Amino acid sequence: MEKQDHAAVQAVLTGDKEAYGALVERHSARLFRVAFRMTGNEADAEDVVQDALLRGYQKLAGFESRSDFGTWIYRIAVRCALDRMSRSRRHEGARVAEEADPEAGEMQLADGAAGPERLLLSGEMGAMEELALRSLTPLERAAFVLRHMEEQGCAEIGAALGMEPNAAKQAVFRAVEKMRRRLAPLRVMR
Amino acid sequence: MKHLSEEELVAHFYGEAADRSDPGGSDPDGSGEDRSAEKGSIGRHLNACAECAERLAALRSDLAALHFAEPPARDEGYGKQVWAALKDRLPAYEAEKARWARIGVWRGLGYAAACALVVMVAFFAGRAWEHRHQPQTAAAKNPQAQKQVILVVLGDHLDRSERLLVELKHADAGSAELVSPMREEARSLLAANQVCRQDARQMGDPALGAALDRLDSLLNELANEPGGLDGAAIARLQNEMNGEGLLFEVRVLRSRMPEVQTGRSTRTNGGTI
Repeated sequence: MEKQDHAAVQAVLTGDKEAYGALVERHSARLFRVAFRMTGNEADAEDVVQDALLRGYQKLAGFESRSDFGTWIYRIAVRCALDRMSRSRRHEGARVAEEADPEAGEMQLADGAAGPERLLLSGEMGAMEELALRSLTPLERAAFVLRHMEEQGCAEIGAALGMEPNAAKQAVFRAVEKMRRRLAPLRVMR
Repeated sequence: MKHLSEEELVAHFYGEAADRSDPGGSDPDGSGEDRSAEKGSIGRHLNACAECAERLAALRSDLAALHFAEPPARDEGYGKQVWAALKDRLPAYEAEKARWARIGVWRGLGYAAACALVVMVAFFAGRAWEHRHQPQTAAAKNPQAQKQVILVVLGDHLDRSERLLVELKHADAGSAELVSPMREEARSLLAANQVCRQDARQMGDPALGAALDRLDSLLNELANEPGGLDGAAIARLQNEMNGEGLLFEVRVLRSRMPEVQTGRSTRTNGGTI
């Protein structure tokens, strides 16, 4: 597949725009998956995929032939998703503050009257985990998603997020610590 | 016993080695050679330390319990849909850029070739010009030709001197109108005589040199006689000229000069006949 990708890249660079279609069809699903995991939103993930592929096309002349196109466009998608998460966080900052109390390290539940059993049964647990994930900074969430869900190594996470591998490792560690702290109340329900 | 830090436990859980002495890790890229050694070290500690093993189990339990929403499934036509949405937004500027880049390269090469051509033409034109003018320069440096020129100049000079001496011979106190042109001619000949004397010395002709020396003296007096030329001065100069036989000597010398000019003009005072 890598050879096919390189051939398509060369074709695009020599003026065959249609050749990029093959690259788009080959890598879109993977980009959507990571974009969704990072943004947590289907519409945002769709936009991230298109942004990443558009940005990739514009930067294609700088693509080094010895690199893997899949890895290259994946990193671009991660950056696009991170940008979108940062913008969303700035936009939703006030609302998030209403939902959680960072000082107390506690999370407000949607329905205080509901018991633990009901929460478990109704799938609210998943929602809480999603909220815990949202309480992370965009960088921590990105690092956690790439490490925990995408199973990327710290070196690759650092490359994707534009930071040193050790900084990526620290971001993963901070994310895990925050997640565990946020979800500690659920531990007693299990 | 020093227990494992939380960071070490997290790194161990994810299969990333951590340096126990440095929380930041001595293996910054996470792929160093001693990763397995570190993992072995942490593994041994976990086997020996029940507390750390319990903490790792809790961590594993917490993280394993996380269930995030799976990404919505995308059908096989998803890539085509994305391409359809993108297609019209992508300008085919790469080909244009490549074509313009090629034109730019050819244009640059054209300018370079034109400059090289101009330099080559100038170089060969210069060489051709030099070759064309070289024979003339050689002729000018030819000693034989130089001598010929000197003889011509000397002949002309002796010719003019002879005419002046003839005028002086026939001058008298009453011919005042002739005195002024004679003096001007004498001054002109005096300057030319200096050059001719040098030429005579170069040619190694002592008779010519001696005659030009005497002529020089006479011309000097004729041109620079204090108080102008009156009857007494003219008579004195005539005597001097006749006494030395200067006119005769000049005529003899002039007759020795080769006739290089066939229709040589004859100058008189104030004009040419």
